[in-house]
Amino acid sequence: MTSMRYALTVIFSLMLALVLQLIPVSADWLPWKPNFLLLMVIGWVIFKPSQWGIGFAASVGLLADLVFRSPLGLHVFLFVFIGAAPYLLSGWLIYFNFIHRCFFVFILIIFSELLRNFMYSVWGVPVDYRDVPLGAISSAVIWPLMDKFLVNVHNNRR
Amino acid sequence: MTIHYYTNWFSSIEKFADRSIRPFYWVANIPSRVGQWADLSSTDRSVIEKENLRLKQESLIYRGQLQRMAELAAENLRLRLLLNATEWLTDSILVTEVIGVSPSSKSHTLSIDRGLKDGVYVGQPILDAEGLMGQIISVFENHSVALLITDNTHAIPVQVLRNGMRSIAEGTSDYNNLQLRFLSTTADIRVGDELVSSGLGGRFPPGYPVGSVLSIGKIPGQNFIEVNVRPAAEIDRSKHLLLVFTSQDGSRNGNSQ
Repeated sequence: MTSMRYALTVIFSLMLALVLQLIPVSADWLPWKPNFLLLMVIGWVIFKPSQWGIGFAASVGLLADLVFRSPLGLHVFLFVFIGAAPYLLSGWLIYFNFIHRCFFVFILIIFSELLRNFMYSVWGVPVDYRDVPLGAISSAVIWPLMDKFLVNVHNNRR
Repeated sequence: MTIHYYTNWFSSIEKFADRSIRPFYWVANIPSRVGQWADLSSTDRSVIEKENLRLKQESLIYRGQLQRMAELAAENLRLRLLLNATEWLTDSILVTEVIGVSPSSKSHTLSIDRGLKDGVYVGQPILDAEGLMGQIISVFENHSVALLITDNTHAIPVQVLRNGMRSIAEGTSDYNNLQLRFLSTTADIRVGDELVSSGLGGRFPPGYPVGSVLSIGKIPGQNFIEVNVRPAAEIDRSKHLLLVFTSQDGSRNGNSQ
């Protein structure tokens, strides 16, 4: 895979995740909605931390803030904080198998939701911490698809 | 983040970004449009004919009720004139469609397909077939953004239909719940009471359904009761909404669709 094609794959995957995140769902299903964009960022950082690091996570976070109309900096903060974990642990992550990665992603999404709820509670928004694991479970469930996609992309690139 | 949350200093950036991000919302809406189209295409002709017949009958019933309403409105106007009361404002409406919904469960906003060119303005109320939904907070050339009544930054003056008692319904970031604040323990309010907009503050026209009282909680040691209200509008489901133009606005008088 050429560098140009690789870059286009990254951009396309992020756009797709963004659109999936925007698809309207009813209020009952909203807590179950996977965090597609954060999953995609975690995925790219896990598989290529040297290329897609903290700056990449911050840029996608800024895009998310603008698209989701959230307070400017909220997603930058979340994505940088969560993206930093796979970046800093990249030395260990090469020994992680598929199951380990699923569990790792689940934990990261839990942290991300806790952090988001904490930020909102600081601003006085009522938050329900019972919803936190729901999004993490659904994110972990769809992670295998992303994992397979990212493994394929990086195998083709080698 | 905090500056952005509590002020509107970044509104120009938001407005600039909003124009560029509209295609994302348009693409995200494709699955629901395809679903509607597939639903319509797969429906049997006899079912559509039955539905058409039912709608015609409903339309007939509503027209009959409207005639009665017109008579009552005229009578009401005569009585108000006799009492030297101010004249009621007449509202006209514009049908609009939801083109985007905020993906965050904490920020309850939606985008609609009407904007400046349709005369939409900031603060304009929107409602669905069941009740009040919210108000417009940003207007662009071809679309607008509305803040829903369930958003935690939103509050609406209401009154109990049964006895006219006034209160303020605040959003709680829950699509199925509003809360009435600072009601004393002796307030005359019951579960099932209907709440309508009171018109105080001048932003929302009076008399539109807001919700019904779901539960009343008395917290020991507190001076106020906790009243939970279920919104009348189908906040997270309605696709087609109505923009309300009161005659005060002037711009759309007699131009309802």
